[in-house]
Amino acid sequence: MALDFSLTDEQKQLQQLARRFAREQVAPRAAEYDQNEQVPWELVEQLYEIGLLNISVPEEAGGLGLGLVEEVIIGEELGWADMGFYTIPMASELGITPILIAGTEEQKRRFLGPLTERPSLAAFALSEPGNGSDAAALRTRIVREGDEYVITGTKMWISNAKEADFNVVFATFDPALRHKGVIAIVVENDREGVSFNKIHGKMGQRAAPTYEIIYDDVRVPVENRLGEEGAGFKIAMLTLDKTRIPVAAGSVGVARRALDESAKYALEREAFGRPIADFQAIQFKLAEMKMGLETARIYTYYAAWLADRNDPEHISASAIAKAYASEMAFYAANEAIQIHGGYGYVNDFPVEKLLRDVKLNQIYEGTNEIQRIIIARNILKALK
Amino acid sequence: MKYVAIIRQVPDGESKIKTDGGRVNLEGATLILDQMDEYAVEEIIRLKEANGGEAVVVAFGPERTEEAMRTALAMGADRGVLVTAEGYVDPVTQAGALAKVLAEEAPDVVFTGGQQADWDSQALGPAVAEALGWPSITWTTAFELGDGHAKATHDLDEGAEVVRVVLPAVFTTQQGLNEPRYPTLPGIMKAKKKEIKKIAAAELGVSGSKVEIVEQEIMELERKQKIIDGTKDPAAAAAELVKLLHEEAKVL
Repeated sequence: MALDFSLTDEQKQLQQLARRFAREQVAPRAAEYDQNEQVPWELVEQLYEIGLLNISVPEEAGGLGLGLVEEVIIGEELGWADMGFYTIPMASELGITPILIAGTEEQKRRFLGPLTERPSLAAFALSEPGNGSDAAALRTRIVREGDEYVITGTKMWISNAKEADFNVVFATFDPALRHKGVIAIVVENDREGVSFNKIHGKMGQRAAPTYEIIYDDVRVPVENRLGEEGAGFKIAMLTLDKTRIPVAAGSVGVARRALDESAKYALEREAFGRPIADFQAIQFKLAEMKMGLETARIYTYYAAWLADRNDPEHISASAIAKAYASEMAFYAANEAIQIHGGYGYVNDFPVEKLLRDVKLNQIYEGTNEIQRIIIARNILKALK
Repeated sequence: MKYVAIIRQVPDGESKIKTDGGRVNLEGATLILDQMDEYAVEEIIRLKEANGGEAVVVAFGPERTEEAMRTALAMGADRGVLVTAEGYVDPVTQAGALAKVLAEEAPDVVFTGGQQADWDSQALGPAVAEALGWPSITWTTAFELGDGHAKATHDLDEGAEVVRVVLPAVFTTQQGLNEPRYPTLPGIMKAKKKEIKKIAAAELGVSGSKVEIVEQEIMELERKQKIIDGTKDPAAAAAELVKLLHEEAKVL
């Protein structure tokens, strides 16, 4: 009798709150932020006011200490309204997670406490211009000088980098050591030598700010290091094992929106003298979308539930959820455009944005090809 | 000072409502705190924040009303009292039960929604005031608390009037009274620990309903989709369009 899919009363109320906020505040403004490539800071502030920002900050640091199930509940609702906007709080959790995993109590209070006191963000800086999937090939250098580290290098595709209070930076003290030479360190944005270039012209998720960061001889105290020297790569992987679950949740939200819009349109639009919803060609598309949506949602919840219980099975499950949900959502968005016909191809209707936005869900926080490698390794590891 | 908001749980306006055998079937509908009552909850929380005292939510309805009450508590109200009764009960009978609760609570100010989104009666606020022998001010758009009295702006069909009223009194809300806040996630977590006292309507000597609903039907909006051929004689088509907009659609 242990199997139970129900949400607690508080989780249901959280869902209702997130849904209402998404519907009333986020969805009506999504197209405008997208077109203007504008960071919706006022929405970040509102999200903070209602307590839905940085929800994983532990109680000792002044936060709510909530888990991935709660993050998934919020992610689906915000993803439904605007995946581009959802990436902002999602990427902040990505910056918080390495500190939850490897930070001391003192570091949690010092870095995460302020995130609960005002609308503010964290960020995670792993990718570089020349490395993405091969994360261990990073070239940002970190050299110890007395009680300080000196960091030099360039990070790329970093969400929230400039808006955040700090970036958790991954840098190497010896590139020859590959993943064993990596240090994870918190670098506050107000340190000397830190500069940002905003990346323009993104296909989708244009409300979410993305940056190149340049660290030019940036001095950071040793107390900012997370874990031991050489533990950085492990910390990055442990982080992504958890944080790709919210990517799946956002994808579920996008797919639900695609289905909502498609079903509504199919009942309104007429062809050959009747609503197009009467035709099997359309019905089959709706049914396929629903099948993908429901299976991705339940599996995403499952992955979040495993991660919250610290069950090692979550490593493979989170990879399956992320790859499956983002591909299912891309399919749903694509079919939504097809159902809308010409109207789906222009931005008077919200469906073309769904496709542009959700394409990124197949790429960031580990491409879906990397997810498949993780899944396969876990299959084979069990047999070796 | 004590401030009370009387609330109801109603179907979300976005929900699709069905009738089943001549009765509204709420199964599957999302049920929420009545939006007109949200103004009432917001107002009593503001009064408490500005003047101290206690903000209490009171409701009459089925057990499930507790969910809407938790929303009000998550917004910031202190505690709740729920009079439970299943099925439809008319506003005057409801007011009889609520008046007994209020007589015991002895608040200074009572707010409730100007109308109820479920069985739209607009009667609950005035009926509660009547049962208590307190004054009632309907469609309140502005409220100012004084010493033993209050000043309120009351909406009229074609204007407004400002009244001064001796407390305790019952006020019903109108859009514009305030901007209700969202509940917050910390508020939701705190609300779990706040007290909701439940009293069966029968314990207050109230049972049945003076009005019984025999049948309900939902208004159907039908699209006529009338298309006027404008290719042959555009001027005549335009005249026909204006005539239809004026006489049938009655929008001109």
